[in-house]
Amino acid sequence: MGIISKIINWSRLKSPWVLHFNTGACNACDIEIIAALTPRYDLERFGVVLKATPRHADVLLCSGPVTKQIESRLLRIYEQMSEPKFVVAVGTCACSGGVFNGCYNVAGGINSVIPVSAYIPGCPASPKAIIDGVVKLLQSLEAKPKSKRPGGKK
Amino acid sequence: MLKALFHILIFPGLSFLFVFGFFAEYVDRKLYARLQNRIGPPWFQPLADFIKLISKQEIIPEEADNNVFKLMPLLALAASSVAILYIPISGERSVFSFNGDVIVVLYLLTIPTFAYFLGGWYSRSVYSMIGAVRSLTQLFAYEVPLFLCILASAMLADTWSLSGIAAFYNQHIGYWFCNIIGFVVALICLLGKLEKVPFDIPEAETEIVAGSFTEYNGRLLAFIRMSFNVEMVVGASLLAAVFLPFGLNLAPAGVLICYLIQVLIIIVAISFLRTLFARLRLDQMINFCWKYLAPLAFLQVLFNLTLKVVLPR
Ligand code: SF4
Repeated sequence: MGIISKIINWSRLKSPWVLHFNTGACNACDIEIIAALTPRYDLERFGVVLKATPRHADVLLCSGPVTKQIESRLLRIYEQMSEPKFVVAVGTCACSGGVFNGCYNVAGGINSVIPVSAYIPGCPASPKAIIDGVVKLLQSLEAKPKSKRPGGKK
Repeated sequence: MLKALFHILIFPGLSFLFVFGFFAEYVDRKLYARLQNRIGPPWFQPLADFIKLISKQEIIPEEADNNVFKLMPLLALAASSVAILYIPISGERSVFSFNGDVIVVLYLLTIPTFAYFLGGWYSRSVYSMIGAVRSLTQLFAYEVPLFLCILASAMLADTWSLSGIAAFYNQHIGYWFCNIIGFVVALICLLGKLEKVPFDIPEAETEIVAGSFTEYNGRLLAFIRMSFNVEMVVGASLLAAVFLPFGLNLAPAGVLICYLIQVLIIIVAISFLRTLFARLRLDQMINFCWKYLAPLAFLQVLFNLTLKVVLPR
């Protein structure tokens, strides 16, 4: 890996800007996401900044099962983000559809519509779990360029 | 020729401005975080943001006007970085000083606002159009008091060149106190120019997403953020040259250190104000500017005119 791509990779790890999108959550997961962004946890330490527009964001934090109504919007928001982009599913509903799976108005988890990079289970996922999930996502990015990690899964 | 290139590219041109701009952004963000009882970003944060944005994929909306959309961030960055060449920062004289450069600097600092307006307008997204119109409306509110304050101080010094103003106040330290109203008003107007919190109406993210910059991403967004940083540095240096003219007769290194300290004081003041206040509405902001700031600026002009007649030179 060249020095330039190393620098670029470093900068990506140090400045993940997030966009929060409610795909049909019961609102508890959203409150926990907001709680994770408050001064109590201070995510700006890691360079995380909440952005309001998908154009600026690198990480899409989705909460809740994807309802049929929001499916096309979620896809559109995802396509408005510029590469490289990552999706984090926050909450059990976002991971799999949770208790709402199989409802007449629910399409399923986030991964039934767009590719997901990290899953954070919990009903609702606590702020600490969310931070942990995002940090793990960043760590996996760091490790990606190496072809093999001893002991790690590929 | 070589010397001019050195001034434009290295000091006090682009390289210096970029480094100082990153530093200013860091100071601003860190202080903001500390005042909110947070730890705040690490020192390399602005640099990491910049590199990340530059290396991101660039999307230009189909509806947007391709050329204007791409050109405007560069124009904003260029205009605000040119202005530093007329501000005395490392000695009595600025690099390209001439009589009348106050006006040039003030207008060069207006160009970024117009660039943001045009960029936002030609993005053809509703949010960026609203943001663009707001930034232009805001311009009419803070620009008049800002101009009046700086010109009032120029009147007292009896010169239209920034180096002349700085030299005059450096010689007559006592006159500095006459401009204190102007300094406060100009500082508040600078907040409006930089779209910082009490006046961040054009990019109010809780109402209109990100204002004029809603559609910008990747490299263009990096340039816009950079031009804001440069504008902050240049605006603060302008205020420092006009209102805080101390230590100009030291050795060149001393002058530079003095200048850096003055600019940092202004940046710290900006972050304090930004932490203290919440966003105003557009009409409140315009009312405030025309009801209080503009009359105060006029008062400063009248005061300086009388002083000029009364005081011996
Ligand atoms: S995971 Fe639980 S808290 Fe989160 S959206 Fe689903 S039901 Fe609500």
